[in-house]
Amino acid sequence: MLKFMRNKAIRVFEQDERHLKVVGLLSDDIYELELEVVMALPELKITSIEGRWRRWTTPECPRAIPVLQEAVGMEIGEGFSDLSDKPESIAKDLGRRSCRHFANLLVECCHAAKEAALIVGWKPLAKDLRGAEGPQPTEALKEEPGILRDSVARSPVALEVKRLQNPEGFVIDLHVHTSEKSPCSSVSLEELIIEAKRIGLDAFCLTDHNSMWDKESVERLSRRYDFVIIRGTEVTTDQGDVLVFGWEEEISGIMKLEELREQVESQGGFMIAAHPFRGFLTFDVSALGLTPEKAMERKIFGAVDAIEVLNSKVTQKENGFALDVAKRLGLPVTGGSDAHEAAELGIYATAFSQPIKTEKELVEALKEGEYTPVKFRKERTMEAQ
Amino acid sequence: MPEILIFSRLRSSYVEPLDSGQLRAVCLLNDTVAEAKVEVFVKPPDLEVVDLKASVIRSRERLEGPESELVSKLIGIRIGPGMKKIIKGMVGQGPVNRMLGAMVQEACNAVILSFTKDILRKAPKEKAGSVEFYSQMVKENIRLYNRCAAFAPGSALVKGIEPAT
Repeated sequence: MLKFMRNKAIRVFEQDERHLKVVGLLSDDIYELELEVVMALPELKITSIEGRWRRWTTPECPRAIPVLQEAVGMEIGEGFSDLSDKPESIAKDLGRRSCRHFANLLVECCHAAKEAALIVGWKPLAKDLRGAEGPQPTEALKEEPGILRDSVARSPVALEVKRLQNPEGFVIDLHVHTSEKSPCSSVSLEELIIEAKRIGLDAFCLTDHNSMWDKESVERLSRRYDFVIIRGTEVTTDQGDVLVFGWEEEISGIMKLEELREQVESQGGFMIAAHPFRGFLTFDVSALGLTPEKAMERKIFGAVDAIEVLNSKVTQKENGFALDVAKRLGLPVTGGSDAHEAAELGIYATAFSQPIKTEKELVEALKEGEYTPVKFRKERTMEAQ
Repeated sequence: MPEILIFSRLRSSYVEPLDSGQLRAVCLLNDTVAEAKVEVFVKPPDLEVVDLKASVIRSRERLEGPESELVSKLIGIRIGPGMKKIIKGMVGQGPVNRMLGAMVQEACNAVILSFTKDILRKAPKEKAGSVEFYSQMVKENIRLYNRCAAFAPGSALVKGIEPAT
């Protein structure tokens, strides 16, 4: 017997000479919803959208329907294809404001409209297939400050580990993202420095996704603000995200964990498994029956030097699970905010016994093991409810 | 004027528990221009992808390399947060590769939804109990806060839940 089934049916026809009508139905064991979207040619601009729930879950799901109107005006024409990030952008932005399942169906409808336009020989689309640059995405679905921010960091995060709650020593936030290098971040490096000084952090590490800051820029800012900034990166591997320090290479695509380990080892660097048990929206890994004993077998733990056990983007339970696994493996543990906005900086950090000024000193200190993860930023940290 | 369809698509994703304890997640695509099937074999509790099969029956463009190459690249990844980025980065850039990558994502998403279904079975049917149930869910997992209209500020489900600012 099947455990779950989802069906989507999409059909496209010409409403008139200038408009395509796309009708989509999504029906699965949990949800059932419909979309009717009218798109104007030649831009494939959404001129109207109508959504209907047939089955839903929470009493507040109907709130998603009016928000769908934000898609009106969006052009999916030349900038929309399997090769662009546009579908994911729609799914993420509209999904967060309205409903991820409506967004999923809208993406499907947009793909279908584009295929239909190709079939009827829409000329600008043919140009697109030859590689011409399309129009820029419309503003319709762009993020608005304060509305779409990831709210994970607002979680109750007090970890039930007494020894972690008294930050002393040289405190570094080991996990920070900047808007210059991580599209998902909304805070610039300079803003982070100002905030770090305001809240009393001793230093922070730049760990942008698959990207590293150039040394000169960082040193210049460090001197200007008289503040310690240490370069690192958060590498996406086939086995999960890894914070890496003391290693510098061009990264293209997803790295194999073994390959990363080999390269980092050859340069004398240090690897930390980032948020290793980040769970799902409605359930965490324990709901799957994952035990610490089983989790210890993950390949990633054989390749890293330490485990991040305080991360503000995961739940208290998930942080606790990471700590449990780290203890059983005998691996050192660290903390970092995973900040993507200024107010998240320093929620968690790592306290070292000695001051650290450079990348080299950080790697040496990490290898020595004289540090402890700490809950640092009190005003952002809600106590467990 | 008759409303003759220009394009039609059916996409079906489902999850089947196997006797071995593994889950078999399938995504079938059949539309006016393409027909393809992806099977993902998943091992709980870690939701590790232990095998993957893909076949393209019809498509407008060609797959860059054999389907088996795609299969081998994705074996060993785990279903979970961040998987879209990993799949997208590993399947290749050709249009058919991306189509198959999207199908793998759909199959993996079906696995997640199959567990979500188990959680939602516990929700009370009457409104008051239901509000309390989902509100508690947000309190226990603040990732849900502001993730969609139902959990956005102003919703009864997040009433009294004030994230620190």
